Amino acid sequence: MAEPSTTDADALMSAYLDKQLAPDEAAKVEKLLAESPEAREELDGLASMLKLVKGLPEVEAPPDFYEKVAKKLRRRRGRGEVLWMLALPFQVLSVVMILVVAVTYMLIHLDHDPSVKLERDPNAVKKADVSPVVP
Amino acid sequence: MVWSKVSRVTSPDPSEATPRVVDLATVVEPDEPEPQAPDDANLSPQAREEAAKRAEQDRRDRRLVRKLKEGDERAFQELVQTYQNRIFGLMLRMIGNRQEAEDLAQEVFIIVYRAIGSYRGEGRFYTWLYRIASNTCKNRIKYLKGRNFHRSVEIEDSPQAQLPASEGGAVVTFQSQVPGPEATVEGARMEQVIQRELAALDPEHRLLIVLRDIQGLSYQDIIRITGLQEGTLKSRLHRARLALKERLQPYLR
Repeated sequence: MAEPSTTDADALMSAYLDKQLAPDEAAKVEKLLAESPEAREELDGLASMLKLVKGLPEVEAPPDFYEKVAKKLRRRRGRGEVLWMLALPFQVLSVVMILVVAVTYMLIHLDHDPSVKLERDPNAVKKADVSPVVP
Repeated sequence: MVWSKVSRVTSPDPSEATPRVVDLATVVEPDEPEPQAPDDANLSPQAREEAAKRAEQDRRDRRLVRKLKEGDERAFQELVQTYQNRIFGLMLRMIGNRQEAEDLAQEVFIIVYRAIGSYRGEGRFYTWLYRIASNTCKNRIKYLKGRNFHRSVEIEDSPQAQLPASEGGAVVTFQSQVPGPEATVEGARMEQVIQRELAALDPEHRLLIVLRDIQGLSYQDIIRITGLQEGTLKSRLHRARLALKERLQPYLR
C-alpha cells in the first residue's frame, strides 16, 4: 500500500500529539493548525484513532508461559547433548579416515620418488651408470 | 548452563506449527551504552517518579542478568515472568495470532537465555530484550510472508461485524463503552477490527505503532530498539499513524 505523503510540518503533528516537540517546533505546528482547517481536521482524526488504539486491552501471556519456555529449553539442551554424543564417534572416524588417506598417499608417493629408491638401494643407480650404452 | 557459543537455535518441538531455525546473529545485537539520564532538577515530579521506577527496574534487571550469567535458573524465571506479558503482547499485536505469538515470545526468551553471554550490560536489558523480540518478529513475518501465511486474528464473519459505524457496525471505543455484555462483545469486535487493520500495515509501521501507541514506550526507548534517528522515527511514526487512520476511518466517530 502506498504511504500517504507528508510534509515537514505534517510529520511534526504526531510528535506534537505526543508532546515530543521542542517549543519552536510546537509553535510551528500550532501556527499550521491555526491557519489550516484541514490540518486541524487531520490532527483531530489522528487523536481519535490514537484514542481507539491506546484503548486496546492489555494482553497477558498464558499462566504456564515460563513452564513452556523451560520445557523447550530442557528439550533442546537434551537434544543438543544427544547430538553431541552421536556426533562424537563420527568425528573420531573422520580423523582416522583422514589419517589413513594421508598415510596411503604418502606411501604411494614415496614408492615413486627416485631419491627414496636411491636410499633404499644405492647400487641401483651405480649399476645403471656403468652399463654400456647400446648404440 | 549457558550456551552462548551456539550460533543457531533449532526447534525440534513437534507441537510447533512449522520447523524453525533462528540464526542468533540475525536477532542478537550487542548492547550499547545508554545516554546519561537528564538531570533530576529539570524533571517534573511525575517524570522524576518514573525515572526512579525505571532506575529501580534497571538495577533489578542487572542483578538478575548477573545471576543468570552465573547459571542461576531462578533468575531466568524471574526475568521471563517480569517481561512475558510485554513480549507476548508485542508479538500478538504484530502477528495477530495467539498461538504463533506465544511460540515467538517463548523463542525470544530462549534466545535471551542462550545469548546472555553476549549481553555486556552496557545498555538497558529491557531495550536489548525488545531488540531481540522485534528482530525475531520481523524475521518471522518475512518467513510467513514467503509462505503466504494469513493467520491473523479471526475476524467475525457476520456482515454486521464488518459494517462501518455509519452503517450500524462496531462503533464502541474501549474507553466509552457502557458496561454490559453487549458492550463487551462490541469491544471485542472492535479489537478484532483494529488488529486486522494493524496487520495490513507495513511491518515497520506496525512495529512503531505497537511500541509507541499500544505499549507506550518512550521515543528514546524506541530509538534504541529500532536504531532509527529521532527525525526518522517522528516522520515514520506519523506516516504509520496516517496509514492506520485511513484504514480505521469508517470506524472513527
